Amino acid sequence: MKIHTLKYMFLSLCAATMFVACDDDDALEMVETTCTDGIMNGTETGVDCGGTSCQPCEDGGGDADGDGDDMMVTPPDFSGTYAQVDFMGRPGINTVLSIDDFKDPYNQAVPSTIAEFYQKDFENRLEGLHDVYAELLGLDPDDVNYQPNILGDILNGPDKDGFTDNPVSAELLTTILANDVLEVAPDLPTTYFNPGTGAPDYEGAIGLTGRTLQDDVIDVSLILLFGGGDGARFNGQEVEGVGTFPRLVSDGVAITANPTDTFPYLGAPE
Amino acid sequence: MKKTKLLFGIGILAVVGAVLVAADHIDAPGTTGNTADIADFYGFESPSNPANTVFIVDLQTDVLPDLAYGPFDEDVLTEINIDTNDDLIEDLVIQAIPRKDTMYFFGPVVPAETGKMSEVMVGSPLGQVAISGESALTTTTEDGISLFAGPRQDAFFFDFGQFNKVIGGTAPEGFLPEGEAVDTFDGANTMALVIEIPNSILGETTAKNALGLTVYKTWVTTNRKQ
Repeated sequence: MKIHTLKYMFLSLCAATMFVACDDDDALEMVETTCTDGIMNGTETGVDCGGTSCQPCEDGGGDADGDGDDMMVTPPDFSGTYAQVDFMGRPGINTVLSIDDFKDPYNQAVPSTIAEFYQKDFENRLEGLHDVYAELLGLDPDDVNYQPNILGDILNGPDKDGFTDNPVSAELLTTILANDVLEVAPDLPTTYFNPGTGAPDYEGAIGLTGRTLQDDVIDVSLILLFGGGDGARFNGQEVEGVGTFPRLVSDGVAITANPTDTFPYLGAPE
Repeated sequence: MKKTKLLFGIGILAVVGAVLVAADHIDAPGTTGNTADIADFYGFESPSNPANTVFIVDLQTDVLPDLAYGPFDEDVLTEINIDTNDDLIEDLVIQAIPRKDTMYFFGPVVPAETGKMSEVMVGSPLGQVAISGESALTTTTEDGISLFAGPRQDAFFFDFGQFNKVIGGTAPEGFLPEGEAVDTFDGANTMALVIEIPNSILGETTAKNALGLTVYKTWVTTNRKQ
């Protein structure tokens, strides 16, 4: 008891005279560290902070050099409620299928209700885009509708024809897309979408296991929306008696950024 | 026929506002250019460790001249939502929120509530990392979780200018061929959050994709302090 008293008297003296550069090797090492005594002791690098036992110090002099000018960190304040502002799952959904009228409310949506509220809008938008190109081609829009896409074959087997036996209708496609989530497989390599050998068998088709930085998600989206049963329905080709079809299954660009294979994977800012 | 004309009209109208509203990247009038604007979201198997999953969230972008990127906003909570039972409701969240020069991460944890309102799950700290400048500052926690927060290249690529013409009905040729098309996002930067996490920490999932493969169903939200 007597010894303790003496020690506290000495410590008080230290504090009072700002003589606080107490060496690790001196007698004070024997003092039990306390993080609430208003004294820099033990391994603390500021008063009641730092070292091996106390909360980290905040920059007082910035140096944590033991001169006592560092302060205890005020724990960050994370209190309060936070309301959703923006939302994103799959790439390109808002891009291609949303229009001005519902872009803002769409961002306020949650995946479990998007299909219910927006699938019909997406479907109308998809058909509307086909109508735009019917007009440009001088065709009757009633004749230029969405055609089932290559997912019909991939999802249901290579022997089926996406046009007839396994139609992925505009309604079905937009219902799938309206569940706007990015699917990420924990135990498989990541492929956004790879049609494999292509029409008509699509052997080796894989995908829907996530999205890498290199995936051409816009081209994939365009193929599903405008590619029809063979993936190349609107591909800039000449069609006898009709004219030149628009090029809608690729935007013509490849990646220009420089992602890497090491964390954090994204290239340095330009 | 009437319906057709109406939809065509929508296409023409769209071109007027298209520069501002046409992408997830530069999406809606309410978020375009503000600090809560989500530019992009990626999720993939780690190239260096197949037992890890990487999530990247890009906030803001300077793809257009009047769109600045950064800094992170202390009033904006970014949340990676993970559905593990296929009901499209988040079962786990990973959260990121900045304070001063540090990005704090929380989770993966069952959120206090699902849906549009969130609170920071302070009882489930995941780690923290100093917010980077030009050079990447990263940290790896004792649990093997790598973290990054700061400005990076915007990796997205898209001929956005031609897309506006396409949806506007003014491009009879559609998109431009390779060589003529232009990546509008070439040279753009974004504020990125990157987390690489062992699947063992994310836990099991029973959700399936359309091919019957086991997946996490994920999406990202930004949430502003009320």
